Amino acid sequence: MFNFDPYSPAVDADPFPYYARLRDEFPCFWSPEAQMWVLSRYEDIVSAGQDWQTYSSASGNLMTELPGRAGATLGSSDPPRHDRLRNLIQHAFMKRNLLSLEEPIRAIAAQVFGQLRGVKQFDFKDVSSQFTVKVLMAALGLPTGAEAIVDEQMVRDNAVLMVQSDARTRTKGPEHIAAYNWMQEYASKVIAMRRAEPRDDLISHFAAAEIDGDKLDEREVLLTTTTLIMAGVESLGGFMMMFAYNLATFDEARRAVIDNPALLPDAIEESLRFNTSAQRFRRCLMKDVTLHGQTMKEGDFVCLAYGSGNRDARQYPDPDRYDITRKPRGHLGFGGGVHACLGTAIARLSVKIAFEEFHKVVSKYHRVADQLAWMPSSTFRSPLVLELAVS
Amino acid sequence: MAKITYIDAGGQSTSVALADGWSLMQGATTNGIEGIVGECGGSCACATCHCYVDETRLADLPAPSEIELAMLENVAAERRAGSRLACQIKASPALDGLIVYLPECQE
Repeated sequence: MFNFDPYSPAVDADPFPYYARLRDEFPCFWSPEAQMWVLSRYEDIVSAGQDWQTYSSASGNLMTELPGRAGATLGSSDPPRHDRLRNLIQHAFMKRNLLSLEEPIRAIAAQVFGQLRGVKQFDFKDVSSQFTVKVLMAALGLPTGAEAIVDEQMVRDNAVLMVQSDARTRTKGPEHIAAYNWMQEYASKVIAMRRAEPRDDLISHFAAAEIDGDKLDEREVLLTTTTLIMAGVESLGGFMMMFAYNLATFDEARRAVIDNPALLPDAIEESLRFNTSAQRFRRCLMKDVTLHGQTMKEGDFVCLAYGSGNRDARQYPDPDRYDITRKPRGHLGFGGGVHACLGTAIARLSVKIAFEEFHKVVSKYHRVADQLAWMPSSTFRSPLVLELAVS
Repeated sequence: MAKITYIDAGGQSTSVALADGWSLMQGATTNGIEGIVGECGGSCACATCHCYVDETRLADLPAPSEIELAMLENVAAERRAGSRLACQIKASPALDGLIVYLPECQE
């Protein structure tokens, strides 16, 4: 009997054969293990993503939600509350407002990837995580240098841990909750610092924000800040691991972007489609919906398997081929609709600069191991370690 | 379902039957229509799905939200009376036969 358990290590390692059967045979599938429906076809996911009145995010959007988080962040609220939060943050993430970050990001990339000069073998995570945390600190205005209140690596470690879940209990384990609490405490210290002495940065503005005289409540400020740090560090870091994994695996693609770095943006888009780290999010039904002969009930949770929609041959011909000339418009690598990722512009910019600088130092590389250890997560997918050897 | 016709800056016309609830941006990007970029994925955060709605049909569309109006200030091409962001317009039977014109640039 077919089974799709998003908590299973087999799905962490390779969800794509499961997705193929879901799309073809069980397009509206009840997963007893996850206790939710799974939508896997491109068209169904786009339709659900558009219909936030029916497919609500207010009960949480992570497949395995963190306690007390739902309703207080952008991803876990619906309009109009969502729009009110978004209004406060969005300008900082718009492409034209990121221009001033380009130079600092390049300096970070040159320093971090410069460490690889002369190195014969390395774990890509060591460099991608350093890069990610430094970029995020610059983008959000987190305290660094003499002002730093924690070790940078702690931010990365906790961000990665808080998105994971326990395969046996199918919930967050104590270590994941501890990481979440650590991140909240860190965010709360940063908020207090910026309130005491405001700067011209995102968190200072956000912490002081009022809408028509109505201050954001503390939970919104705290959990949105916590989520920005988590999403920034984990999603950007996870995606960079997947992009490096693809380039180390598909020699032709790697050679093409080395020969012509102008192809990097196309390769990034294809990676977002092919196997992006944000694989699955969830919604909660606000009314009964009948789809493909199944009736999903009001109050049921529904998984939107973005990673599967991106491999749907109904939308993308020859979907299991990594083809950097594809230009996969409309891909779901950043989700879609009202909750599409806020960080698309900074993610694209950072990854492009990172790999331009990485390739200046290391241009020929391949994976050391065939089998990788994958992160245990019902929402995200990326390898825990990615050993690369310089060819 | 609504039939939407996109006419690009070069005069090339493409008609698409769009499912209810899908945005005009999604109708363009999933059907290979180049004049719409939709870089942010539809969250009204990039202004790269700018389009000119046939002005005689503007009344058939829900009015733009505050976020959309703010984003319309960031469009790359000339902003006109019929300017809207395609990601914020959802297909419905009321939009059947709508013609949207695409600007010469989005970025």
